[in-house]
Amino acid sequence: MQVGVGVVFFIFVVLWTGALWWIATRAALTAPYERVSAVVSRLRRWGALIVVVVLGAAFILSLPFLPYPTSRAARLGSPQVTVEVTGRMWAWELSQKTIPRGQTVEFVVRALDVNHGFGIYAPDGRIVTQVQAMPGYTNRLLYRFDEPGTYTIRCLEFCATGHHLMVAEFTVE
Amino acid sequence: MEGRVGNGNSARAQQSVEQATLVYMLVGFAVFLLMGVLGLLMRLQHAGWIDLGPRWFYRIMTLHGSGMVAGVLLASLGGVARVIAPRIGLSPRLLWTAFVVYFLGSGLVILATLVGGFAAGWTTTYPLPVRGDWPMSATWGFLLGYTLVAVAFLLWCLAVLVGALRTFGGFGNALAWPVLFGRKTERPVPTGPELAATVVAIDGIIAVGAGVVYLVPIFAEMLGLVSGFDVLFAKNMLFLFGHTLVNLNIYLAVALVYATLGAYTGRTFKMGFPVALAVNLVLILVLLPYFHHLYQDFVQPWPLHLIGQFGSYAVGVPAFFVTIIGSLGLLYGSRVRWSAPVIFILAGLWGWVVGGFAAILDGTIAINNVMHNTLWVPAHFHSYYLFGAAGFTWAYLFHTLGGVEGWVTSPAARWLGWLYAIGAGGFVLAFFLSGLQSVPRRYAEHSAAWQVLGQVAVPFVLLLGIAFLGLLILGLRAVPAAWRAPAPAPGSND
Repeated sequence: MQVGVGVVFFIFVVLWTGALWWIATRAALTAPYERVSAVVSRLRRWGALIVVVVLGAAFILSLPFLPYPTSRAARLGSPQVTVEVTGRMWAWELSQKTIPRGQTVEFVVRALDVNHGFGIYAPDGRIVTQVQAMPGYTNRLLYRFDEPGTYTIRCLEFCATGHHLMVAEFTVE
Repeated sequence: MEGRVGNGNSARAQQSVEQATLVYMLVGFAVFLLMGVLGLLMRLQHAGWIDLGPRWFYRIMTLHGSGMVAGVLLASLGGVARVIAPRIGLSPRLLWTAFVVYFLGSGLVILATLVGGFAAGWTTTYPLPVRGDWPMSATWGFLLGYTLVAVAFLLWCLAVLVGALRTFGGFGNALAWPVLFGRKTERPVPTGPELAATVVAIDGIIAVGAGVVYLVPIFAEMLGLVSGFDVLFAKNMLFLFGHTLVNLNIYLAVALVYATLGAYTGRTFKMGFPVALAVNLVLILVLLPYFHHLYQDFVQPWPLHLIGQFGSYAVGVPAFFVTIIGSLGLLYGSRVRWSAPVIFILAGLWGWVVGGFAAILDGTIAINNVMHNTLWVPAHFHSYYLFGAAGFTWAYLFHTLGGVEGWVTSPAARWLGWLYAIGAGGFVLAFFLSGLQSVPRRYAEHSAAWQVLGQVAVPFVLLLGIAFLGLLILGLRAVPAAWRAPAPAPGSND
């Protein structure tokens, strides 16, 4: 996911930087404002229409990939393994530290004191999914691990002095 | 008998308004620079080149975030007040009072963090403020400081709203509805900055209301009146307040673009249907994206998540096609007078759009699940804030201090302007790459693999520092003249 986001983002940055550079190099020239205004009006009309269509399509296409339990269950199947997770300043407790590969896992995530962020990092160091751990609430996170290895849990919601030390691990095999 | 200007203020009162707004901008700029030094310390820590220890790192992080928002907001409130005061009319006494309240609030925040040890982050997400490992007195100081800042902002909003209603005759006219719906009116039509200021005032009052709903139960808990309250509700109120406040800052800054760019291009932003439509849409849309802060709170009802995604997508569209495309239209073929303000605005358009596009990506729920609370998030809001909200405001400040013919067009000022753009650009791009690397935000310690991009960022932050130091030296010499002289006529606020 991160690679795709990065490619799209940097293509956009290059195009936008180029567009501004092009405008800047022509800012010192002379062009009648009436002509420029007409182009601006056309850009606003057609550009806004195109952007609304593109964003509308992106909105609809993204919906099947929602991370919420119903959506994940539809894609991954019903959970076959349940792991109870409790976050507190500044440690994670998991009901089991070994998770079978290729099965849908349901993490039942709670917090005892303040908000924490239950972020799962793959062995290659990238986040694969996350959910908040909230006092007074239970969040359910479904995920299927297809790659074996040691996964790291990091707190992703700031929780004071020991926040960065709130780390745990589990193994997928 | 004293002469009077259009809004009924005496000439002396009007001069006091201009002096007050200059103080807002200069103090805001000073706070911005000091908070920038704290930001440099944080990046040095992330680079592995200094060791602040977690307690001091998180105190500094808390002060950096809250101070930056307070400083830039103060400056942009001053700038916009200066632009709109000649027609809307603002009481100098009220502006000075709001400044003192704001100043006291900011002082409490500084004491609470640096002396008291408060370190819950600038967002102070409940229940952390009352469960943290610092004295409760520090929490009292910090939250009372926030309360005073919010009161000062509320005073500004009320003053602008009352002035706009009086000048334009009712909400509809103040929101330029005659332009929007093609109706004739005998009352004056608001200019772009006046309309933007009115929208900020309305949404600002709503945001402060949410802030009150957030803070009152926390105070009640600290007084022992209640044992606690719902964290999900608290989070909704917190981000309706905080996210909206920070977003409104960009629309204040946009008003300053309207008031600056025309002076250097000889062209004017016209108040017409596109501007009226865009700013009225913003009035509603700016209240919706805050839900994206709660995407990972799975217990939040899912329709609210979808509203968050819709709002995150939609809020940028009117601004992009009206303000940004309109600004580029003002620049193209205008024989522009290149100057520090113009460079800051051009860079601001770059950063605002880059930060906005990054926000659209992160505002997509499916993507947010792997980007939330990584350094992608500060990358987005630093692009948006450093380039946009702050950059546009400093463009107007430099314009105020220099005028079209002043020091801002000197080669030194222009070079410093480009240095700022390069420094800020490199700094935020390093943040974005760290976000793609999944580096968590708000970590006092970074692993060796994460430190590389911190090390890349530091030289760019230093360039940024050199640029601002140079501009400060150039600009300070112009302050006495600006203190005595009336404000330069806004070149493009019609």
